[in-house]
This record gives sequence, structure tokens and C-alpha cells, in this order.
Amino acid sequence: MNQPRVFLVDDHELIRTGIRSELAGVVELVGEADEVAAAIDMIIERSPDVVLLDVHMPGGGGVAVLRAVGDARPSVRFLALSVSDAADDVIAVIRAGARGYVTKNISGAELADAIYRVAAGDAVFSPRLAGFVLDAFSLEGRHLEAGDVDPELDQLTTRERQVLRFIARGYTYRDVAVELAISPKTVESHVSSVLRKLQLTNRHQLSRWASERHLL
Amino acid sequence: MALTTAPHPVIGTPQRPYRRSAVTALLGGVCAGFAVRLGVRERSVRVVFCILAFVAGAGLILYALLWLTLTRSGEEESAAQRLFRRRVNTPALVVALFATIVALFLLDPIGSSIFGVYAWPVLIALAAVGALWRGASPDERSHLSELVKSAPFLGAGAPPRRTHVWLRVVLGIAFVVGGLRILNHLHGILVGATPAIIGTFVLIAGVLILLAPWWLSTLNELTGERRARIRVEERAHVAAHLHDSVLQTLTLIERAAGDETAVVRLARTQERELRQWLFEPDRGRDATTNTLSAALRALETEIENDYGVTVELVVVGECATSDSVCALVSAAREAAINAARWSGASTLSIFAEVEPAELSIFVRDRGCGFDLDAVPADRQGIALSIRQRTTHLGGTATIRSVLGEGTEVVLTLARASS
Repeated sequence: MNQPRVFLVDDHELIRTGIRSELAGVVELVGEADEVAAAIDMIIERSPDVVLLDVHMPGGGGVAVLRAVGDARPSVRFLALSVSDAADDVIAVIRAGARGYVTKNISGAELADAIYRVAAGDAVFSPRLAGFVLDAFSLEGRHLEAGDVDPELDQLTTRERQVLRFIARGYTYRDVAVELAISPKTVESHVSSVLRKLQLTNRHQLSRWASERHLL
Repeated sequence: MALTTAPHPVIGTPQRPYRRSAVTALLGGVCAGFAVRLGVRERSVRVVFCILAFVAGAGLILYALLWLTLTRSGEEESAAQRLFRRRVNTPALVVALFATIVALFLLDPIGSSIFGVYAWPVLIALAAVGALWRGASPDERSHLSELVKSAPFLGAGAPPRRTHVWLRVVLGIAFVVGGLRILNHLHGILVGATPAIIGTFVLIAGVLILLAPWWLSTLNELTGERRARIRVEERAHVAAHLHDSVLQTLTLIERAAGDETAVVRLARTQERELRQWLFEPDRGRDATTNTLSAALRALETEIENDYGVTVELVVVGECATSDSVCALVSAAREAAINAARWSGASTLSIFAEVEPAELSIFVRDRGCGFDLDAVPADRQGIALSIRQRTTHLGGTATIRSVLGEGTEVVLTLARASS
């Protein structure tokens, strides 16, 4: 596989420098920006494969970039990058269209792996994100009336639940495939399907869940 | 939490509830709020209100009433609510009302001789302005004072010299009386709208010129002083916290510069503390220490501090701690300490899931692993203690380990059916 073309958006010079040096030679960095407006223009102009996107930035944050670029360049994929583990932040960027979420203390190798995965169209779920999703969907089941549930979108299949549980336990996709005796490609398709449900599922339940967790 | 609608109208989509806008307000935010509520452009609403204002002043009266009775976006109470809440002294209120009515009747002949038929509207308008000001929140007051300050001619550079002040007062009074005279006079002769508008503008200009310096100076002093005080308090609060936490840790890191594990441990601890302070401010104060997630967070802190490894903790669901839950967490603690001490991995994962029928805790490392059948006696002892502890509770403990790939301890416990 060719090196994916990566664009970096973060308002901290130190973080950008660190990521640049970690990714040097592993991916092709096509540019970087330190603020929302510039990022939107440059991403639309250069149309990279993957955008590494900081969640917290002045001027609307990563979500603003996702919204603006998502319409103009649907082929650009986003991997959110943040120091925050707050549930609302995670859910907000995923629902705005990011295909994954990693925290900034991730190692260089793991980050590169995540970028390749996103470039290939797969989803990147950290253990924490898998935990959020399990929590959110189990709670929704409890809160929703039977008639409100769209089984296609508002519930996880047993297999998807199993996969998420393994990821939450710290297993890699490859480990999960071995454990469940399925191919890594199948694991990836399960995770992508969970991502799709997370992005499309019945709306406010999820944000309410996120804010409840935040206040807990 | 106050109910708040979006600050900008979404064209075509009405939004509830109707609040006065705080962000795009020109004056009281009534029109901007209306625009959000109806999902139309702000300008359209403003034009409609302006037209209504010329229909016997209906627009103005409507605007003032809405301003008084509607809650401002992001606030809990309307100006009117605030006014009435504050005046709890009923006898004083009755006396004041009575005195005002008497004064009005006594002043009416004087007022009429100067202001003509506009005497009552002028008095009511002044009362409305006073009520709005009294009922406004500090935030809204500062908004209004900014508004006045940014107005041309009245703006910031109000000259403090005496002659200017006198000039201003005389000019102001002249404008007011002149404007009302024009209006009064015209009322008798002409019913056309244009001269009346000119008269009104002359009148407003007069009032503003007359009152602006006094109003501005009191405003500036009050809001400036209050803002400064709030800012100082907030700053002191943040500074105290940062001093106790981050600054202390930085000093410790400086001292421990040679010791890599110590530096990492200090940084991790501080990171966790700061994160909690920033993102979960309520968690520290609440008595949530008797929940499963609180117990596991304490465990996470302990392992990270004592063994210098990173713990990735994920908790799904929540339950209160009982004796058996505490015992299961203790077993998980044994497993985690084991992993931290022997596996050689820098990260270990703890995953706990509360299901209606079952509670499970997984402790996993990706370290060296060990051969379960050929472990030294002392380590088998620990494995046994995990097993025994769990089976004693009626749960199960499964230990899986593959040499070179890592170890996972799975603890499950049936929950009392509810």
C-alpha cells in the first residue's frame, strides 16, 4: 500500500512537532494548519487521504472542520486526536463524521497503524471508545420504548457487542479475529458497522447519555 | 441549568423555547429571539417591529412588554420576575405606588404645560426604562452600557470639563423641550407622520444628551468594579489550584530529572488530577466513592503510582459497591499488581462490565506471559489467592496466559437478581 497522504491540524506547535517526527517516513505529510479556517481551506485544496484532527481548538474546534470539509470533500477521512477523554467530546467528533478517535499519548507506531486503518476506510476504536459505545447502547435499550427502537440502527448485534467487548479489554483487531475464529477483515467490518450506527442512530438519546456521564 | 436556544436563527426551522437573544441583540434581543423562535431572518423581524411602532406606537409597547417579560437566553428569570422577587416589602411598595400616583397628579398640570399630550407617554416610557434597568441581569446591564458607549457622539470620550457639562445640560434641555413643543404643536395642526418623526428624534436626542454622562459614569464604575472583582477572585482560585497541583509536581519532576520512571509517574498522576479538575469537576465532590467505577479508579491510581505502568481503565455500566463487589475488586487488584510487577508490559488494561445478571472484570497485559503449569510456588500462591477469593464469593476466576503474548485474568460474579 502506498503511503497515505496525511494532513495535520493542531493548534499546539509542540504536538505538531512531535507527531511530525513520529510519522516521518511512515506517511506522506502534505501539510499542517494551526487554526480552523486555514485548515478548512487547505484540506479542501489539497484533498489528503487522512486528516489528523485536534478536537479542541479556538474557533469551533475539530467539529467545525469536520462539518465544513465533510460536505466539500466527502472522500477525506478524519482521525480525531485529543487529550480529552470526556464522553461528549468523543461522541461529538464521531457523530460529526470522524472515523476514529485516539488520545495524544498514543505511541508513534500505534498512531501510524491507526492512520493506515482509517486510510483503508476502517474505523479506529480505542478501548475507551468501545466502552463508551457499549455503555451508550445498553442504556438506550433501557430508556427507549419498544416502539422507538430501530433495530437496524439503535441496537448492536451480538457479534458487534462481542467484538467491542474484546476491544475494550485491550485486544487488537488481530487478537479479536483469532479469539472469535473470524478473519480480521470481518472484525473490521463489524467495527465499521458499529461506527455507522453510532453516527446515524437515534440522535438525542446518545447526546443525553453523554452529558449524563459527564455530570456523573 | 437554564434552557437555552441556539444563538442564531436556522432559516426554516422554528426553535423552542422563545428567549431574548443575548448574542445578536441590538437592543434587548427581542427581535433576534423572535427570529430564532420562528426560523426567519433577524432583519425581517426588526422591519416588522419598526412598522408596528408607527401604528400608534404598538410596536414600541409590544417591544417593551416582551423585553420585560421574556427571559434572556442563558438566564433563569425575566426582568419582570427579578423585579418582583426583589420587592418583597409589600407595605413599602404600596406606599411608593400611592406616592407616585399623587405626585403624578400634582405634576400633571406642570407636565402638560411643557409636554402637552405627550406627558403621560413620556412618564410611562421613563418608568419602563427604569424597570428594565432594575430588572436587568448584570450581564445584560454590561451589554446595554457597552451599547451606549459605542453610540456615536455619546461615546467613550465624554469630556469631563465643566463648560462642556453645562453646555450639554442646556443643549439637552433645549432639545427635549423643543422637541416636545414641536410635537405638541403639530399634534394640533398636522396629523402627518413625517414631522412627528422628526420631533421624536429631536426629543430622543435631547434625553440622551442630558442623561448620558451621568448614566455612563455610574455604569462604568459599577460594572467595572464588579467585573474586576470577579476576575480577581476567579484568578486567585485558579492560581491556588495550579500552585497546589501543577507547580508542585513540576518542582518534583525537576528534582527527579534523572529518574525516568519517577518522572513518568509524576506526570501521569498530575495529568489524571488535572483532567479530573478540568473535565469532571463534580466527580471529586460527590460521594461517588461507593460505586464500582470509583473503586476501580482508585485501583488505577494505586497501580500507576506504585508500579509506574499505564493502566487503561474502561468501565461499562455502574453499580454500588457491596462486600462481594469489593472482594471482586480486591481480586482484580491482585491480578493487576501481578501483571504490573511481572509481565514487563508498560500498559495493562482493566475492563469492567456490569450487566443485569453478572459483573465481570478483565485484567489483561501484553507482557511476557507465563506457563500456568510450571510457575514457581510463590507466584502460584498469588494465582491461587485470586482464584480462592473469587470462588469463595461464588464467582469464577479464569487465568489465561500465553508465553510471549500476555496474560488475562477474567473474574465474574453473578449479581443478586433484582
